[in-house]
Amino acid sequence: MSEELKVAVDRRPNGAILYTKGYINNVGGEEIANRAYELMDQGAKTLLLNLRETKIVNSIGISILIEIIEKMMEKEGAIAFCCLTPVILKTFHIMGLANYAKIFENEDSAVKELGLGN
Amino acid sequence: MPLVHRFADFLHDLQQLEKAAFPSQGPLILDAFTRHSPFDAGAVWLREVRGGGMRLAAKSQSCVAPEILDDDATPDGRVVVPIRTGKDNFGVVALLGDQATDEDLQMLKAAGAYLATVLNNQRLSQEMREGDFQLKYRLWELESLYDIGLSIAGTLNIDALADEILFRMISLINARRAALYLREGDRFRVYRSFGDTRSEFLDDEVTLQIVSAGEAITFGDGSECIFPGCFATVAVPIKGNNAIIGVLAAADRETRDGGIAAFEPNELRLLSLFANQVAIALENARLHKEALAKQAMEREMELAATIQRDILPKGLPKIEGIEVAALSKPAKQVGGDYHAFFEREGTLTTIVADVAGKSMPAALLVSAFHAALHLLFAEGRELGEIATELNRHLHNWSAENKFVTMILITIDPDAETLQFVNAGHNPCYVLTGGRIEQLKSHGLPIGILGSSRYMTQTRPFFAGSAVVLYSDGISEAENAAGEEFENERLETLLAAHANDSPAQIRDAIAAAVDAFVADAPQKDDQTLVIARTRPPVTTAPLT
Repeated sequence: MSEELKVAVDRRPNGAILYTKGYINNVGGEEIANRAYELMDQGAKTLLLNLRETKIVNSIGISILIEIIEKMMEKEGAIAFCCLTPVILKTFHIMGLANYAKIFENEDSAVKELGLGN
Repeated sequence: MPLVHRFADFLHDLQQLEKAAFPSQGPLILDAFTRHSPFDAGAVWLREVRGGGMRLAAKSQSCVAPEILDDDATPDGRVVVPIRTGKDNFGVVALLGDQATDEDLQMLKAAGAYLATVLNNQRLSQEMREGDFQLKYRLWELESLYDIGLSIAGTLNIDALADEILFRMISLINARRAALYLREGDRFRVYRSFGDTRSEFLDDEVTLQIVSAGEAITFGDGSECIFPGCFATVAVPIKGNNAIIGVLAAADRETRDGGIAAFEPNELRLLSLFANQVAIALENARLHKEALAKQAMEREMELAATIQRDILPKGLPKIEGIEVAALSKPAKQVGGDYHAFFEREGTLTTIVADVAGKSMPAALLVSAFHAALHLLFAEGRELGEIATELNRHLHNWSAENKFVTMILITIDPDAETLQFVNAGHNPCYVLTGGRIEQLKSHGLPIGILGSSRYMTQTRPFFAGSAVVLYSDGISEAENAAGEEFENERLETLLAAHANDSPAQIRDAIAAAVDAFVADAPQKDDQTLVIARTRPPVTTAPLT
């Protein structure tokens, strides 16, 4: 199992889908934040984080995700998540992320509702 | 511009600071104070955290300003504006430039007080958010522990369980690396790890420390006893019912500033609680695995018993002049006893065999043996040939340690002969009048040596004689003291029942063996085949 988080970006007309693979901790969270802020600076208003290949997230990773959500809210955009493991889904609910970011079961429904289609 | 408008604009600019992050606040403050006052230069010192010192946050190029400003120090400047509420001092703005009016000074003073309120609100809001986060985090920890109990106790697959344990532990204590070790004899072998471990097994010294501590312990800064190149390590024993069944280890607790730190006492407590849950889950998984193995074995035994039951004779042969009785009593653990009857032109051929091994392998070998025997007999071959072919067949097609002992006999009541082949089997008994004879083995068991040849032995079998074939489940039946029934008891019994019918002899042997064994479990199959030819017709002398 890899320690290092990898992020792949799929640009869409109205935003982007970020695919994460690995542990969302301090280092991993910062990697996501850097990519997300880059996209925000380029005008992306909707970012969907697909966490299908992420099985672990720690409290620092969560606080970084909250910061990304807040920053996007300041820009009047939206962050959403999809494909969460049951453990991460519950964690997001407890930590309050679900109050500020939409969570989808799968990518198709997220793309449809967020208007991220090609 | 009227003063009131200037002041409103000034406050509006300061209001925007509420949304600014700390590093950008200094320049924004300096910009607002120089734009809305006659001063064109200055410096700003801000206190980042309560109780901390005041650090230079911004300054004009022309200005010389110290990096740190003591609380009681007054910076150089034409005007110094404190940023403070009644009790909290957030910083200072020092301004340089033209002489200001009293109105300007009043405005700057009011702006300083307003700015202090803005910063105070921002700080309170930040503290509230952090407090809320911490509260939620503690709730998450508790929920996680509860969930772990439910989730890992419900996961009976050890591989899935190991992943779940690692993921949960890493999340709970913000570790960068972790490993689960499981006991193997006196050592602990890594079963799953997140990140590299130093070696496959825990060091003896480290193991001793963990086992002696009996709870979560930390290893010194820079200790690489479990993970290479790590800063801080923690390990906790997983205590099973009777012994330590595993070890959980983690390294390098992350901090929000991007660094790593040693594990704290609350994390050690959390890890110990977690290890208790893991112990229960691992024990459950182990018991489940054992139960599955037992179930599989029982299913195999049932199947083996069915195979064996199906190939044993369903009834006794009915041959003119020959009376037959048989007993087949399988042990609980299916063994490899086999018997069969064949009839050909008024003769009876019967066999008692014992296949090496137990359970399914033995049942399968019995099945193959049965098929080959029937084919060979149907070809009309004589006993020696049948034995030789069976031997060749088994030697070629079965595993090295598979063999069969057998005694194969043919009784011809008309010719009053008995032919036999005894391949490594117990001797059978021939009862003639009051005499008991043994027909001993004259060859290796079937399947041992491919080149073995078996010769048919022929001997007289006078009318009224009986033959008793049996498996070692009879002669080696054990009682609770571990004593065997033995041939001596069998022979005594046969002598006492020498003139009885085959069924009576069978029942007498079965009853004697049962009485001898008493409550001890039956370890091996018991098989008996007894055949007696009709006694000669005696005619009364003419008077």
